[in-house]
This record gives sequence, structure tokens and C-alpha cells, in this order.
Amino acid sequence: MLCDDCKKKPASIFFKDVSGGQIKEVHLCEDCARKKGILSEKKLSPLEVLQKLLKNTSYEDERVICPICFLNLAEFKKLGRFGCANCLNVFEPYIKSMIKEVQNSERHIGKRAKPGGRRAIEVFRLREELRRALEKEAYEDAAQIRDKLKTLGVENV
Amino acid sequence: MFDNIKWLISPDLNQESEENEIVVSTRIRVARNIEGIPFEIKMKNQDAEKLVQVVKSAIEMNFKGKYLDLQKMKPLEKESLFESHLISPAIIKKEQPTAVFINEKGNITIMVNEEDHLRIQGLSCGLNLTNIASAVYEFEEILGQELGYAYNENYGFITSCPTNLGTGLRASVLFHLPGLVYTNEIDKILKSTLNLGMTVRGLYGEGTEIKGNLFQISNQHTLGFKEDELIEKINKFARMLIDLEKKARDAIIERARYELEDKIYRSIAILRSARLINSDEVLNLLSAVRLGIGLGIIKGIEVNILNEIMLITRPGNIQLYYGEILEEQERDLKRAEYIRNRLAKIETTTV
Repeated sequence: MLCDDCKKKPASIFFKDVSGGQIKEVHLCEDCARKKGILSEKKLSPLEVLQKLLKNTSYEDERVICPICFLNLAEFKKLGRFGCANCLNVFEPYIKSMIKEVQNSERHIGKRAKPGGRRAIEVFRLREELRRALEKEAYEDAAQIRDKLKTLGVENV
Repeated sequence: MFDNIKWLISPDLNQESEENEIVVSTRIRVARNIEGIPFEIKMKNQDAEKLVQVVKSAIEMNFKGKYLDLQKMKPLEKESLFESHLISPAIIKKEQPTAVFINEKGNITIMVNEEDHLRIQGLSCGLNLTNIASAVYEFEEILGQELGYAYNENYGFITSCPTNLGTGLRASVLFHLPGLVYTNEIDKILKSTLNLGMTVRGLYGEGTEIKGNLFQISNQHTLGFKEDELIEKINKFARMLIDLEKKARDAIIERARYELEDKIYRSIAILRSARLINSDEVLNLLSAVRLGIGLGIIKGIEVNILNEIMLITRPGNIQLYYGEILEEQERDLKRAEYIRNRLAKIETTTV
């Protein structure tokens, strides 16, 4: 069934109009319904909301810089992405309300990060050290590093 | 290659239940980043290399499975992983070191160096959110202790994109809804899912078209709720949608039983005898047969077989199955041949 208004697109909105004193069946497509104010604004996805809000830039944005990765607020607004974990801390006051609109919420109440031993990072670091020690032929150092790795539970050193 | 699809054809879930015909599969994904390593847009090759190595040792110290270097993998193999829903298109496009871990069971994957450092994903056939969430979070917790996740007191787990902040959780359910499509109620339903804070996508998620009456529904937001509350909400929504689908099917049987049966019987006949079938047509034909099984009109064939056909006949998978690179028409030919052979041994009865 085609739209009563534009007669081009398929009608997907059906309702009864009683304004003329009589009951009339109306069939409209989404676009005409929206133009007539019958349908509310098309719902945007969180990503679309984000992109819309990030267009709100200012010259000072370039001066707000993350000291760890050197991403600035202007770049963040252009890309819509953080450069590192610290960016959020630096940009928070400027993007707080944007996050609230994108996520429909402003606070995390779910699972929390548990403090961990970060064993894998330590293992990686020690393996690098071991490689450098072997290159330098510092075999005593290498043996010590190998022991440390063993205590961390690494079998295949 | 069969390893890639075994998560969807597992006989674990009750095959008789109509619910597991209407719900094709469940997916849970959790995004995490590691403190001290740059995020995607600031990551250099050496950071990526470090990330891949660090995660590799964390995983190998705790879990059994395959840790695959995607840079060394052939394009067809990567294509197969994607078609089987194990990895995303985004990670395939990357030129930096990337990896994916797949557990022995083949239902948990961890992508390393995608949009976030880690994308931990669990998959299951049928509606299985709670179990899959448990499995995913078991991995998430152990890896968290090994690696140290980037986390913020107010905003939860820190992700590359603000749209994933907080829980970093995306729960998706893939529905088969021919009833609601045929009764023209589907648009109304999809609009209401948007109002409930969920999005609707096609078979392969973001940017894919709706085909074969298959709709993937997932949460839009990731901040401001507890993980188990979200799972509960989606479970409730799924049950409601299953109910609506069943009612729509009842209505069609009442109004157009013979037309429906005709469509279903023709579909299985085409699958048994066609010489050329393209991948879109497979999805449409499988939809009719799947509906036939759900309604009890076709007996003697399980939904598992349809799931197997659906994945093996994807363009990349069909080439891996036959062990050769195939052009489009050759694929259509081999696809039809595979389906004929697969169904030849199965005797279906129609009521």
C-alpha cells in the first residue's frame, strides 16, 4: 500500500483520523509521517549521537592535551576515540555531558576491576631483560632472571 | 574449518524446543584494554607486538586452545573465521600485529588488538545468555589478574570508544522471525526494540543487511547498569519476542496454511535438487525449512543440520571445504552440490 501523501513510498504508519468529524483511515510512509509531526525524530544510535555531539568544537580544544599519549581534545573530537587510559581523566570535565547523552547514564555500577598481580606484564618485561642479558653474554644475570621467571610460574622460559 | 563452526552445531541444547528454532544463536562480548599500553589510535607496531606477546603469555599460562597470529594467516582462513562469527571484519583489516585465541571447545574467542586491546567473546546456539556470560567472565576475570585492565572509578572499564565505556558488554541474540515478517508486524516490533534501548542488525552485525528473516538484536548502551541486569532484561525481551513470533505463525497457519506449506515444501525440494545456489538464496531457502521444522510440518531433520549448511555454504567456508579457490559460479555450483549431498542421506517426512 502506498503513502496517501507522497504516493511514492510504501506506507508503514496506519492510524484513524477523527479530526474531520468522520473516521478516516490514514496510511503514511515514515518520512511523510515525520514531516507531519506524527512520528518523533528518528532515534539515533549511540555512535550517531556521539558523532553529532563531537562536532561542537572550540579553539581551546587543541590546548587540552593528555600528558601520556599527547592526544589533544580537538583530535579526540575528530576521531571519537581515546588514545590511552589516561585521556579519560584529562578530558572528563569537557566530555562529561557528552558521555551522559551517548550512554543515557553517567555512572558505572557494574563489575569492578580487581587488583591483580599483573603477572603477564612482568613476565614480558623479564623475558626482554633475559634476551638483552643473553645478547650481552651476561650469563649470571640471565640465570637470575630465569629464576625470577620460574618463581612467577613460567615453565617455558 | 569444521572447528570454526562447531559452536553452532553442538547438540548441547534441546533440539526439539521451538524456542531454539526461533533463536538461532547467542553472543556475548566484553571489551577490555590493558593499563600502560596505548589504545588503537596511538598504537605503534612495537606496542602491538608487545600487546600480542603479553596477552599470549597470559593466556597460555591459564587456558588451553589455539593462539593464532592473524598476520601469518591466509586470507581464506581469516574469511572463514569471520563467516563462522569468530572474528570481526575490523581485525582482518588491520596491518599491525593482531591475534585471536580460540578455546578447545571453539565457543570462546579473544581478539587481540582490534578496536580495543581485548575483545572476549562467547557464542552458543539457541538462547543461552546466562551460561555464555559466565564462561566469558571466567576468562575476563583470570586475564584481568594477569594483565591489569584500564579502569575508571566513575566510568568503569575504559574502552577506545565512549560508546563501550562502563561494562564494555554487548549481548546479542540472533532471531529467526519469518512469522512477524509475513504478517507485516516486523517494522512495529523493530521500532519498539529501539525504544527499549536495543539495536537490530543483520546476520553479521553492524552494517549488514537483513536476510533470511534473521535479525540480530543487541543492547545499545554499556554504561549505567549491572551486567546480570542486562542479561535478565534481554532474556525477558527474547521470551516476549518468541511469544509474538509464535502468535504470528499461528495467525498465518489460520489464514494461509496451504500457501505456507507449499512454500516450505518447495524450498526443501529446491535444496535437494538445485544445481546452482547463491549465498543469499541459501538463507531464504533455509528460512522456509527452518520454519517448517518449527511448525512441525517437516520432520526427520534437525535444526543443527540447517545451521551447519548455513555456515559451510558461506563463500569462504565452501572454498575451504572443497580445498580450492573458486570463482563465483563455481561456488554456486559447489554450494548446491554440498547441500544435495548433505540432504541426500536425510529422509524428511512432510505432514
